[in-house]
Amino acid sequence: MNIDVDFTARQEVPRWLAYGSSVFTILAALLVGAVALVTLNVNPLDAYQVMFVQQLTGLTGISNVLEKSTPLILAGLAVYIPLRAGLWNIGATGQIYIGAIIGTWIGINVTAPSFVLLILMFLGAALGGMVWGFIPGYLRAKWGVNEIITSLLISYAAIEINGYMVRGPMQGGAGNFPVSAVLPSGAQLPEIPIIESHIGILIALLFAVIVYVVVQKTNVGYEITFTGSNPDAARQAGMNSFYIYVMVFVAAGALAGMAGLIEIAGVQDRLRPDFSPGYGFTAIVVALLGRGNAFKVVLAALFFGLLLVGGTSLEVAYTVPSALVEVIQALVILFLITAEFLKSYKVDIDFTMGESKPNPTASAEEGV
Amino acid sequence: MAGFLTNLLDATISAGTIFIIGALGEIIAERAGILNLGMEGMMLVGALTGYMTTVVTGNPWIGLGVAIVGGMLMSLIHAFLTITLKSDQVISGVMLTLLGTGLTTYFGARWTGRSIDGMKDISIPVLEQIPILGSAFFTNPATDYMAFLLVPSVWYLLNRTNLGLELISVGEDPETADTMGVSVFRLRYLAVLIGGALAGLAGAHLSLAFTGIWTGGLTAGRGWIVVALVIFARWSPIYAVAGAYLFGMLEALQIRIQGLELVFDVLPNVVNEAIAFFASPQIMATYPYFITVIVLAITVARSREGASAVPSALLQSYSREMD
Repeated sequence: MNIDVDFTARQEVPRWLAYGSSVFTILAALLVGAVALVTLNVNPLDAYQVMFVQQLTGLTGISNVLEKSTPLILAGLAVYIPLRAGLWNIGATGQIYIGAIIGTWIGINVTAPSFVLLILMFLGAALGGMVWGFIPGYLRAKWGVNEIITSLLISYAAIEINGYMVRGPMQGGAGNFPVSAVLPSGAQLPEIPIIESHIGILIALLFAVIVYVVVQKTNVGYEITFTGSNPDAARQAGMNSFYIYVMVFVAAGALAGMAGLIEIAGVQDRLRPDFSPGYGFTAIVVALLGRGNAFKVVLAALFFGLLLVGGTSLEVAYTVPSALVEVIQALVILFLITAEFLKSYKVDIDFTMGESKPNPTASAEEGV
Repeated sequence: MAGFLTNLLDATISAGTIFIIGALGEIIAERAGILNLGMEGMMLVGALTGYMTTVVTGNPWIGLGVAIVGGMLMSLIHAFLTITLKSDQVISGVMLTLLGTGLTTYFGARWTGRSIDGMKDISIPVLEQIPILGSAFFTNPATDYMAFLLVPSVWYLLNRTNLGLELISVGEDPETADTMGVSVFRLRYLAVLIGGALAGLAGAHLSLAFTGIWTGGLTAGRGWIVVALVIFARWSPIYAVAGAYLFGMLEALQIRIQGLELVFDVLPNVVNEAIAFFASPQIMATYPYFITVIVLAITVARSREGASAVPSALLQSYSREMD
């Protein structure tokens, strides 16, 4: 028997596919995640109940989800903006670390009234992230050096620099532990009353609105999107891609840098080695799911914030490694790109007995 | 000092093996036009599956075989997504690393702290007696020798065989290769699978010969160094050896340099402080990344005038025009 697979490019995307793919990918990822749970003798329904429902029914849970989502919103936007211009910022991690280092340093070493100090810390963090974003942006704009590789590689350098800071110049506190001194209370983010979460979520939402307006409603946003969708036409229309490439990466760095600072000044209170639980990579998934606009980025970030908090609860409740969250993240990407393919190609599968006719587009099963 | 050198050289060879084997795999895939950023994930899967098999069977050779299969299965996902479904190679690769890290941390949690009889050192008679070099080059686990042998093999494959030339043609100009009757899809699948097999082998060297233990995230970013190394080596197996031992020595130095007294009375204070800064383990760990970015920038900036080493069709998916 032969299986004949035929791909034809779709003229238009069916509605159910266009809207359903994000939901479909998440459900499919959870379904496969359930298999992983069963292998460790955990009832997936109970586990998902702990991961999702339990978090959203109590104030502590909601507050935790908001705190985890905050860096994801900002880092997600840091991937989303260059993506609009057709560039990949795989290095949000590095921008997060450098932002956190500089912001925390200011918080520990500068004496100023709390409000002024916090603003200085945010400016410092944004500036640090901008420097780390500028490097891949400039190299790409000037010489066409692949921004994916450079942003990724200097990310790992940033993690090591953070490790150096907490063991060397910024080491503080008792003993020789690799941590910085605790931020003075004036340098920590104040809490929002009632929901008991720090104000970082408001800052993140504010920037989401700004990014939405800039990308959707302004000339600059139009030029970014146009350059991303058709660089040659954009150049002919007189748009300066050098300027746009550098700008999107610098803006991304600023946002990711602030994400790093918020994680320290809002949650962890001091710099530690490897303090980011994979925010930079999760941000890529967030931006992929939410690439339609900045508000979708926020929604995706909230979902992954829930997933991260739920993963920790799962670990406590069932002693199941919280790495399941990473598996689910990977599966979301996997199914998302599969769905992308289904969106742009129509797949016909024929089951025929005997010899099938040679088919130039049927290289799929030939290759496997 | 001789003791320090022997020890350093020994550790360099052992650390370099991971980079060599991984980089050779990545070179083959990239020469055929497929960037695989899943190196870290494939290496982790190789390291864990090899380790688990060795714990169960007690035989590291079976572990090595299973690790190779594990790496290949991971790379098959990448091949299917990027070649058949024509997905973005970057996204698929990042996904593969996330998947490998997640799966191995999840399923590996119950395997930490087991003890195994890993790969044993094999001494080559007579040659092992050579001072300093003997213990570094001729008293090693089998995987180190495999790395020595793989380098000329991969070089020969790529430069002297029909298959190698076809692989390169597919990575440089798939359209022309296709018209010449070369199966672009089949060769790209083959290249990615070989890359996965070597990544699995590199991971197995790590858990079975280098550390002899399993913990979550065992590769600790080495997969990304491999990706960097391929660029540093300008996609050449021979340069990759030099780069692998350079990066391997940096890794080996990081631990050992702390034992050295690097303060010199004759030098001014500032210089001594600068030495202390550049010789601190974390700062040394950044060198491979910065060196690679600089080399990449110089390579690309120069290639404006001449030929670039970057495979022309890297990152491009291939589909036949419909007639």
